[in-house]
Amino acid sequence: MTGQNKPKLLWLQSITCNGNTHSFLNHPDLFSILSHFELVHHPALDTDYSMEDIIAGVVPCDVLILEGSFREVGFVKGGVEVSSLIELYAEKAKHIISAGTCATFGGIFKQKDPKSISGFCFDGEEKTKRYQIYASKLISLPGCPIHPKWLSYVLLMIAGKKDIPRDNLHRPVELYGYTVHTGCTRNEYFEWKIDTKNFGLKEGCLFYEQGCQGPYTRGSCNKILWNDTSSKTRVGTPCFGCTEPNYPGESLFSTKTNMGIPDKMPLGIPKRAYLTLTGVTKSFHIKRFSERIMEYDK
Amino acid sequence: MNKVTIKQLIEKIEGEAELDFTFNKGKIEDVNINFGFYRGIEEILRGKDARDALVITPRVCGICNHAHLLTAVRAIENGYENAGLRVNLSSKANDIREFTLACELIQNHVKWFYLTIIPQFEKYVGKQSNENYAIKATYLSSIITKALAIFAGQWPHSSYAVPGGVTCDPTHLDVMQAESLVYECIKFFEDVMIGGSMDTYLTIDSVTSLNQIEGDFGNLLHLISVNDMVKAGKTHGRFIVFGDCSIFKPGKSIITTVSNVDTSYVEEEIQPGTMAKAVTYKQKLYEVGPLARGMVAKTPIVKSLHKSYKDSMFTRIFARVHEVALLLEYSKNLLQNLKLDEPSCVLDKNVRPDEFEGTGVVEAARGSLIHKTRVKDRIITNYDIITPTQWNLSHGTKEEQGIAVQAMIGTSSIEEATFIFRTFDVCSVCTTQ
Repeated sequence: MTGQNKPKLLWLQSITCNGNTHSFLNHPDLFSILSHFELVHHPALDTDYSMEDIIAGVVPCDVLILEGSFREVGFVKGGVEVSSLIELYAEKAKHIISAGTCATFGGIFKQKDPKSISGFCFDGEEKTKRYQIYASKLISLPGCPIHPKWLSYVLLMIAGKKDIPRDNLHRPVELYGYTVHTGCTRNEYFEWKIDTKNFGLKEGCLFYEQGCQGPYTRGSCNKILWNDTSSKTRVGTPCFGCTEPNYPGESLFSTKTNMGIPDKMPLGIPKRAYLTLTGVTKSFHIKRFSERIMEYDK
Repeated sequence: MNKVTIKQLIEKIEGEAELDFTFNKGKIEDVNINFGFYRGIEEILRGKDARDALVITPRVCGICNHAHLLTAVRAIENGYENAGLRVNLSSKANDIREFTLACELIQNHVKWFYLTIIPQFEKYVGKQSNENYAIKATYLSSIITKALAIFAGQWPHSSYAVPGGVTCDPTHLDVMQAESLVYECIKFFEDVMIGGSMDTYLTIDSVTSLNQIEGDFGNLLHLISVNDMVKAGKTHGRFIVFGDCSIFKPGKSIITTVSNVDTSYVEEEIQPGTMAKAVTYKQKLYEVGPLARGMVAKTPIVKSLHKSYKDSMFTRIFARVHEVALLLEYSKNLLQNLKLDEPSCVLDKNVRPDEFEGTGVVEAARGSLIHKTRVKDRIITNYDIITPTQWNLSHGTKEEQGIAVQAMIGTSSIEEATFIFRTFDVCSVCTTQ
């Protein structure tokens, strides 16, 4: 086998919808990325080791990809607690990648039982008791689901034996140093504080009324496009902040405001700076931004 | 003691299932299908804003998330209508939704065909090739989901359908890009899957012309025939479809007699030993999915196969792959006729009834998907999700065995039964939610 000296890659699922698995299967260079590894087990692709081998604890593992939220007791596969399997392989692994918001922070499924369901090393933003044990090898890749290109970046960095610069929540800064707002095609409207009139229009910013969390959500969805093609905000859907520790919030299609001012400021912007700028920009009326970009029926 | 029960963990489906096979005198007499973990999406939705279902319900399933989004939006729109607010969806919004849903079905069927069916069947009959079927699966699925993402922003887990329409406002550039991607998929289907032109393929209307099919699909059909399995895996011969679009018709088919259906006769029931609830229509079990859709729509080739082999796994596999051709053709036509000058969304985002009850239905890859939502003061007070796999994979009723269970009964090996089980395109995450 050619895979003898390659790092052994193991993909384990916990409480999940399989969305991260399917997201990564869409990577156009999937098999080129995987060629740097020996894929020992994967939920969908054919592999040498079966789920029964995993349960028996005999599978080698250098890189562990975790998908799904974590629960210590009560999630059993083949008669064994999934949490104990995860810990067993997390112990063996040199790198642990928490793939998706569920595995990283707890995600949507945490809401079913917030006391006993969390991410593997984080519970929301708080560190779990496992954090100290695994922190040195942890890479957090939140996203609901994971962006396939973000995962490929991490895998290729590992294959190339490169260090991955990370922030305090262990997110690679090359991917999460940006906000989703970066690269949004509606940025001009944001700058001039012009909201979109409704859903289904290419004009206007979604931040002021439609719940868009792009200006304060970490992630490069508008820099590294989805399916090589687009992003939520490019098709007029608000960003729901799916990479954030507190995801999902409430009333996702409307922006919480306080006396007409968005409740949450763009990342790192003091309210005073925001209000000053808003006052200035709103005093201008730019005709171009009040018109449709194109009309098909004219 | 003639009876013996063997437990088997089934993986490389969507998630995993544990099957207990009971053998009696060397033949399978009963099967218990157990699905593990319940995630409680319906509970998570309670107390949330009605529209949050558009974000939360896709997370039921990584492979049919888009079907959940569209079912959720239809449930809300139906609720609006029930509360007296007319929703006159533009044909543009409707066609864009139909297109993206068709894309999701295509990626599902092709992944199932190449990741599950071909490799497992080759393994079962001991005729394994060294081909990388997974590369074929992901090639086509990544292209067709790219076409989906042009309108929906991303796949999986987009939330671009909103009450009254869609959030996107595509241009001719977008449509042309999507058309090229669909043509790329058609080319793959022709060159690799059927080894011939799609136009010729679509004229095949009877069992006698099946040998015209070549490519990987033709090879599989041949392999099943020479292994004498064309009649294996029969079940009750009852089919049901609730979704409605120009290629799928709602109705129920008992053998070949088709009649109307109404979602109010659908009932859910808790089953012991599994997190999956059983679903019946007027207390009877029905198969959902591509075979049901082919039977209810009276697709000539599906009817012809059914006449010869009944609802066997051969007919079932054929119906699912055949749908890829129908869906590719449908997608192409939808894009060609898209009316870009129509509005994308007809409802003002601030106009919405505070209280309503609505039901949404969509034909998802595995069959009819139903969402029922009840909303008070704009907040969800109850949400019911009935997934296709609940129809096909329940253990059954007091009177009869479940659809997949019945199909496995009478086989003499776990390997054969397991393969038949996989022909239902098993999804554990949808079944348990």
